[in-house]
Amino acid sequence: MSHVIPYIAAIQEAIREEMERDERVLYFGQNMATSPEDPFLKQFGPDRVRVTPISETAEIGMATGAAVAGYRPVVELYMAEFLLVATDQVVNEGTRFHFMSKGAVSVPMVMVAGYGFTAGWAGQHTGSIYGMFMGVPGLKVALPSTPADAKGLMTTAIRDDNPVLFFQNYLLLLEEGEVPDGEHAVPFGVADVKRSGSDLTLVATGYAVHTALGAAESLARRGVSVEVIDPRTIAPLDVDTILSSVARTGHLVLVDQATRHSSVAAVIAAEVAELGFSSLEAPISMVTALDSSIAYSKPVEEFVLPDEHKVVRAVEASLGLAPASS
Amino acid sequence: MANANATDGSAPEALDPERLVWMYTQMYRIREFEERVKSTFTEHPGILRGHTHLADGAEASIVGSVAALAPGDQIVTTYRCHGYPIALGTDTKRMMAEIYGKEGGLCGGLGGSMHLYDVDRGFLGGSGIVAQAIPHATGAAWAAQIRRQGQVVVCFFGDGASKQGAFHESLNIASLWKLPIVYVMENNRYQASTRTDQEDANAASGEPLSTKAKAYSMEGVTVDGADPVAVHATLADALARARSGTGPTLVESLVYRLSAHGNLIAPPGVPLNYPEHEAIAIFGNRDEYEAALRGDPVPRFRHQLVTEGTLSAADADAIEQAAREEIDEAQRFALDSPWPAPDSGLAYVYA
Amino acid sequence: MAGGGTGDPGGGAGDPGGGAEDPGGGALDAAAAERLLATMWRIRAFEERLEPLKRSSMVHGLTHLSIGQEAVAAGVCTQLRDDEPVYSNHRANGHALAKGVDMGKLLAELMGRADGCCRGLGGSMHVVDVAHGFLGATGVVGGNLPFAVGSALASRLLGRARPAVVFFGDGAAQTGIFAETVNLASLWQVPVVFVCENNGFAEFTPRSAHTRVERVSDLAAPFCVAARTVDGNDVVEVHGAFADALSQARAGSGPYLLECLTHRLSGHYVGDPGGYRAALEDEAWRARDPIARLVRQAAAAGWFDAEHARAAEAAARDEVEAAVAFALGSPFPDPSIPAELTYARS
Repeated sequence: MSHVIPYIAAIQEAIREEMERDERVLYFGQNMATSPEDPFLKQFGPDRVRVTPISETAEIGMATGAAVAGYRPVVELYMAEFLLVATDQVVNEGTRFHFMSKGAVSVPMVMVAGYGFTAGWAGQHTGSIYGMFMGVPGLKVALPSTPADAKGLMTTAIRDDNPVLFFQNYLLLLEEGEVPDGEHAVPFGVADVKRSGSDLTLVATGYAVHTALGAAESLARRGVSVEVIDPRTIAPLDVDTILSSVARTGHLVLVDQATRHSSVAAVIAAEVAELGFSSLEAPISMVTALDSSIAYSKPVEEFVLPDEHKVVRAVEASLGLAPASS
Repeated sequence: MANANATDGSAPEALDPERLVWMYTQMYRIREFEERVKSTFTEHPGILRGHTHLADGAEASIVGSVAALAPGDQIVTTYRCHGYPIALGTDTKRMMAEIYGKEGGLCGGLGGSMHLYDVDRGFLGGSGIVAQAIPHATGAAWAAQIRRQGQVVVCFFGDGASKQGAFHESLNIASLWKLPIVYVMENNRYQASTRTDQEDANAASGEPLSTKAKAYSMEGVTVDGADPVAVHATLADALARARSGTGPTLVESLVYRLSAHGNLIAPPGVPLNYPEHEAIAIFGNRDEYEAALRGDPVPRFRHQLVTEGTLSAADADAIEQAAREEIDEAQRFALDSPWPAPDSGLAYVYA
Repeated sequence: MAGGGTGDPGGGAGDPGGGAEDPGGGALDAAAAERLLATMWRIRAFEERLEPLKRSSMVHGLTHLSIGQEAVAAGVCTQLRDDEPVYSNHRANGHALAKGVDMGKLLAELMGRADGCCRGLGGSMHVVDVAHGFLGATGVVGGNLPFAVGSALASRLLGRARPAVVFFGDGAAQTGIFAETVNLASLWQVPVVFVCENNGFAEFTPRSAHTRVERVSDLAAPFCVAARTVDGNDVVEVHGAFADALSQARAGSGPYLLECLTHRLSGHYVGDPGGYRAALEDEAWRARDPIARLVRQAAAAGWFDAEHARAAEAAARDEVEAAVAFALGSPFPDPSIPAELTYARS
C-alpha cells in the first residue's frame, strides 16, 4: 500500500514520524515554526522545534553540540549555499569527532539543504554543490530524486549515527509520487535502478535522474534500451551496482546538474575507468553543467545546464547512432 | 556523567580549607603536567608531533571554574585543553599517552593534544579551530535545557575567539533562548602572536572584553583569573544564574599564559621546541613577561594558603612531590605504550 | 588597482564626482525635497509595475520589493556622489534607482535582457553599476558588509577618503560576519556608514525570534561604534541623520551605524503568501507612507505643493513605462557568454 504525496511532504512526513518515534530528534532552523499554528511546533513543542536567527555557524555547531550531548538534531538550512557560510562546521567539526575520539563521541545530525533552484535565482542560489562534500570522511550525503526516496533517505538519515547532509532539490519540491505506507527507510549506499535497459547505462543523481529518465523514454521510442541508475546516496557511493550494469551494457553516460569538475559524475567516471575498464566498449561520457556560474537570464541559465537533448546526443555518440532529427 | 571531584555546586558558599587544598593540588598537577609536556620536546625529541598548546599560567582560572561545577555539568573547551580534564579527574597516564600519540591514549592516538575527550566526566572535548566549539557548547546547553536535569555547560575559549562570527551567533542565541551556559573567555592578552589591542575594538578602546556581553543583552563580568577563589565565586554566581533559567553569562577571566602560544611550527626535520613568549620574542617586552612571572598564580596561591595557615609548607611540599611522581608515572606509561596499529583509525571514520 | 577598476568608481583624487549633482549634506531645501520626492516616486512606481510583470513571468526568479521603505534608499543615496560606493543586498531595486542606475537598464536586467546593467546575468539580487558607484547587491544575508569596509579602506589607501555605505537588514545583525566586520571597521576606524533597514522581519521571521536585543543600534556601542536610530519612514529625518553621518565620514571619522525603522508593505518576495504578517496592521503603516508624509511636510515648509507631487508621480510612471518599453525591446543575451565571463582576462 502506498500514498501519493509531494516530495517536500514526504520529507516532512519522515521527520514527523521519526520525532514521534524518538524523542531525542530535534528540528530547528531558519524561517520555520514561527507561527504557533505550525504543525511541528504544535505537535512537539518549543523544546524540540525552534526557529533560529540567520546564524548558520551557530545552527550547525549547535546541532553538533546537541548531538554530542545525546540528541539527534535535524537542522533546516533552507539553501545549500548557506552551508558555505559555515563550511568549517559542515566539514571540519562534527565529521571529525567520532574519529578523533576513537569512538567515544558520535554526532548523529542531519543538515537539510535545498539545491539547484535553477528558476532565475541567479548566481548565488542555484548551485548543485553536493559534489564538494562527497569526499569528506565522516560525512554522509543523501540526494533523493523521488518522494519515496526522499522519505526513506530522511528516515535513514535521522537514524544514522553520523552527520548526514540531506540535499533536497528545489525544483522537485512539489512533484508528487507514491510513497509506501508505514515505516519506510531506504538504506544508504544502495543504488536504485530507476529503469532497466540493456544497451547503455545512464547514471544520474538527484534532479538529473528525471532528465535521464526523460532521455531514456525518448530513446526507447527509437528502440534504444537504456538503464537508469540513481545512486541515491553519493557518500557512501554504490559503485558495485554501476559496475555490474556497465558489465552488461558496455556503455556509460553520466548525468549531473553539478559543474563538471565538482560533479558526482567525475568520481563515478574515475571509479569505472579503474574498476570496469574492460567492460567499456566506448569512452565514458559526462553530461554535466558547464564549469560556469548560473546566469539569471533564462536562455543563458539553460545553456549551462544538462537537458534531455544533451543526454540523448551523448547516448547517440556512445552507441554510434546517427543523431535523431530534431 | 558525575564529576567525581566537583562540589555539589548548589550555592556560591565559602570554600572550606579542604576544598582550597584540593584546588591547590589540581593547580600544581596541571602545572607539572604542562611542564612535562613542554620538556618532552627537548628530552624525547620526535615524540611530540604537530601543535601543542599549554595552559601554564591559567591554572587558577581553570581550577576555580571546575571547582564551581556540580555533578552532571559539562564543559567544552578549545585546543588548549590539557588543564580541564586533569582537574576533572581524568587519568593523566592516558592523557599523556594521547598527547604522545600512543595506543594507550584517551583516543588511541587518533586525536592528540588538541582533541582530548572524557565524556564520562562531562568533558565533551573542543575544537582545533578558534571559536568553533562555542556553538557546540551552546548546542549542548540546549540539550541540557530540554533534559531539565539542572545541568549547566561551561564553555571555555580565548580572547581571539570573540572576534569570530561563531561567538556572535552563539551568544545571541544563548541569550535569546536563556540557555544554561556560562561562557568563560580566558583573556591572555595575545591572540596567538597578536596583542589584543591590535585586533579587538574594545581592547583598543581600553574597555574590558566583557563589554561584548551588552551586544547580547547578557550579563558580563571580568574577574582576576590568577585568583582561583575569585574565579570560583564568579563562576558560582554565573552557574547559579544559568541553572535557575535566568540566562547565560559572559565571564572574562584575565590570565597570562606563561608559555608561547604553541610549539614551533616547522616542517619535518626541524627540531620542535617552545619558543620564547611573544611578549619577548615579538614585542621585545621582557618587563611585561617578568612581571607576569612574578604574578604566577601557582606559587601565589601556595603562598596565600600557607600564609593564611590553610596549608603547611610541608604539606604543600608533599602535594608537589606527589604530583611530580604522578606525572613521572604518566610519562613512563606514555613512553612505554605502543604505537597504535596503522589501520586502527579506519574503524572510526563512521559511527 | 591596475587592471581592476570595479572597485574604483568615479574619477581620481581631484574629481568632484561624476554625478549630475553633488548634493552634499545639511538642512533640507526645496530642491532637495523635490529630489527626495521624485526618487521615492520612481522607486514606488517601478516596484508597483514590477509586480504584474513578475506575475506574468516577464520577470523571473526571485524579486524582493521595498514598497514602503523608499525613504531610506532616497534619504541615503541621493546624498552620495558616484565615487562614494553603495553595497546593497537582495532587496536592491530602491537602492539602485536612488543611486542613479538607469531605470531602463535595471528593468532590462530584471527581465534577463542583453541591455540589462549586467547583461541579464545577475538579475534582481545581483545588480551592479560601477559608473554610478552601485557596487553590487549580494544574495546572501550579511555577505555584503565586509565589502564596504574593504572598499572604504582601499579608498583611504588611495588617498581619496571616500566613505562607503552598506545597506543591511535587521536579520543580518545576527550573522557572524556582522560582528567580524564591525569589530574591524571600529578597530581600524574605517569611514563606513552601516545603514540598517530594520523592517521588523528577517525574511519571514519576526525580530523577537532572532534576538533579545531591542534595537540594532544597541549593537554598536559594544563595538565602540557611534549609532543612531531614526524613523525610516520619515525621509526628512533619514536625510538629516545620514547627512550628519556622511559629513563625519567624509572628514575621515570611523564607522557609524544608522538604523532606520521601517516596514515592508509587501511580502519578503513577490508571491510570498504573507500569512506570517497577518497580525500586523498594514493600514496603520499606510498612514505613515513616506511619500504622503513628505507631501504633508512639504506643504507645511513651503517646499512644494500637492500639484507638484502629482506631477512627480506622473513623471515617475511615465519613466517606468518608457523603461518597460526599453526592456521589452531588448533581446535576450547570447547564451554562450558564461564562457567568456567565468574568469576575468588579465
